[in-house]
Amino acid sequence: MEYFLQQLINGITLGGVYALIALGYTMVYGIIQLINFAHGEFFAAGGYMGVILISYLAGQGASPVLCIGLGLALTMVYCALLAMAVEKVAYKPLRTSSRLSVLLSALGMSIFLQNGLMLTQGVYDKAYPTEMTAGGFEWGNVVLSYMQIYIFLITGALLIGLNLLVFKTRIGKAMRATAQDKVMSALVGINSSKIISLTFAIGAGLAAAAGIMVGFYYGSVNYSMGFVPGIKAFAAAVLGGIGNITGAMVGGLIIGMVEIFAAGYLSSEYKDVFAFIILIAVLYFRPTGIMGENVDDTRV
Amino acid sequence: MKRILFMACILMLAASTAFAGETLKMGSMSPLTGPYAADGNDIANGARTAIEVIKADGGIPGFDDITLSAQDTACDPRQAVAAANKLINEEVTGVVGAYCSSATLPASETLDEEDIVMLTPASTNEKVTERGLKNIFRTCGRDDDQSKAAIRFMTDYLKAKSIYLVDDKTAYSQGLADNVEKGSPAAGIKVLGHDHVNQGDKDFSAVLTKVKAANPDVFYVSLQNSATGALLIIQAKRMGIDAVYLAQDAVYHPQLIEIAKKDANGMYLTFGYVDTDAPSYQKFIKAYEPKYGKPGAYSAYAYDSAMAYLLAVKKAGSTDLAKVREALLSMEFDGASKKFKYMENGDSGSNYIIRQIKDGEYINFWNAQTGEKY
Repeated sequence: MEYFLQQLINGITLGGVYALIALGYTMVYGIIQLINFAHGEFFAAGGYMGVILISYLAGQGASPVLCIGLGLALTMVYCALLAMAVEKVAYKPLRTSSRLSVLLSALGMSIFLQNGLMLTQGVYDKAYPTEMTAGGFEWGNVVLSYMQIYIFLITGALLIGLNLLVFKTRIGKAMRATAQDKVMSALVGINSSKIISLTFAIGAGLAAAAGIMVGFYYGSVNYSMGFVPGIKAFAAAVLGGIGNITGAMVGGLIIGMVEIFAAGYLSSEYKDVFAFIILIAVLYFRPTGIMGENVDDTRV
Repeated sequence: MKRILFMACILMLAASTAFAGETLKMGSMSPLTGPYAADGNDIANGARTAIEVIKADGGIPGFDDITLSAQDTACDPRQAVAAANKLINEEVTGVVGAYCSSATLPASETLDEEDIVMLTPASTNEKVTERGLKNIFRTCGRDDDQSKAAIRFMTDYLKAKSIYLVDDKTAYSQGLADNVEKGSPAAGIKVLGHDHVNQGDKDFSAVLTKVKAANPDVFYVSLQNSATGALLIIQAKRMGIDAVYLAQDAVYHPQLIEIAKKDANGMYLTFGYVDTDAPSYQKFIKAYEPKYGKPGAYSAYAYDSAMAYLLAVKKAGSTDLAKVREALLSMEFDGASKKFKYMENGDSGSNYIIRQIKDGEYINFWNAQTGEKY
């Protein structure tokens, strides 16, 4: 029982991180039907910007809460701006071209960003000041670290915030309208270019937050860290029904859990296999994902 | 007027190249990108340092310049062969590398066809020197010796009764873990489990929860990469696994302590003995550290490999494989990593000891030959 509980905690933590990254994929897909392969790099860039800012703030004598809070906020803004720039350079000029061109542009951008990170930040891992978040609760053999609690809380807050933004505000309404029909929404006065740009920004901001939390949770960041979680999050987005926000959250949690339980009860070797078997099964039996991808109201 | 000046420039350029002596071209092969880039760059930097030191000491007679062409293998067998071909085209005569045994094996055969010497600072797989090739030399130790040192430490010093092994499925890391697993029962150590993780994994919580439930005396960590090792140690400590942590030489790197910080304290690693007080080591560290920072696990081995090659060329007065080989086999080297002499098969002998991380530093801990503490 203890073993199960511990694995459950592990699974929810990992799932939360995947969910945050998956949202970026799903939102961008929802609005311009593009699978943004460069999305994982925003996660990595966030991890790096986070460690730079937080270390700087800590060096200035700021308290841990301030360091993390301010570092998180600034990093999210930075990655949002980065994503807007990427969108402007790599995707906007291709808006009327075939989907394949945009996809290739996304792949190219991913390679460019990853190598840019390597050249500017070096090949060595950068360590996070993990002592800021050290410690945790213990019940018998079950350990719940403070960082895991932070991940639950921050992920939860961001997910709720995103839901409010998309379903309760005018901007959210404009996003949903653009996703449904770009021409029609432009006719009623929505600046679709701006809305698309904003969607990229929000997705990248969430990925950046995930990057910082991963940095704290695991202890370090690396220039190539965006690739694998990027693929897993993409699987999560497809699993939930790509384009569907709630679906991405659920998909992320499922992929995280499956991975942890496959590794815990079978072998670590099989965790990726199982994560992707689920994906294949869903695509085979229910190609629109578990939550469906054409639920227009919940699509961004 | 302009034209005359231009012609003069051209003539001078032509003259300068015509009168210059030969350049000794060396190459290095190691993963400069990808997950093993940290160790790979250490290797290139170690070779560079050897060249700088030789140049500062007056160079090699007959050669005006010594250059290094650093190639990226990404730890991939195919890319390693491509890198070897590139070095062949650049007409290098001696190569330091590669890092991963799986890259060294095919690349050494490609280089062998062109009679180019290859000195590996890091590939510990037994097969490297067991193929009868005349061009391959190994400055580091061998996996079979390393696993024996680990087992001896567990029985003689730790008096361990049980072990749990984790590796990340590379030819090197899994091969070593398999050797330890095979040797354990005979030494009276019960194998509670042997699990595998994927390269590039960041989350080990699931496998660590298993290890915790098994509650072994020794937790043996055989990974190809120090940064991954650090992540695993942090998570294991957080989970409260209070076994003895034992790792190997690929996990060994300053980065491990940098990332895992105090969580790394107390863990043991099998690693080649390095006498940091020896003058040869001091000479190396004085040239290396100001430029490239703290040396990694293989910096000194790469430095020694390049140094051995350069000294052998100096002695042979030629870059011809047969002559260089003869020189390499006849010389005794007082290297930064160890004193060594190459044997007929290219090996230089293993000197694995147990090192420990104490207060954020690697220290020599236990001599696996004599069974004594340092």
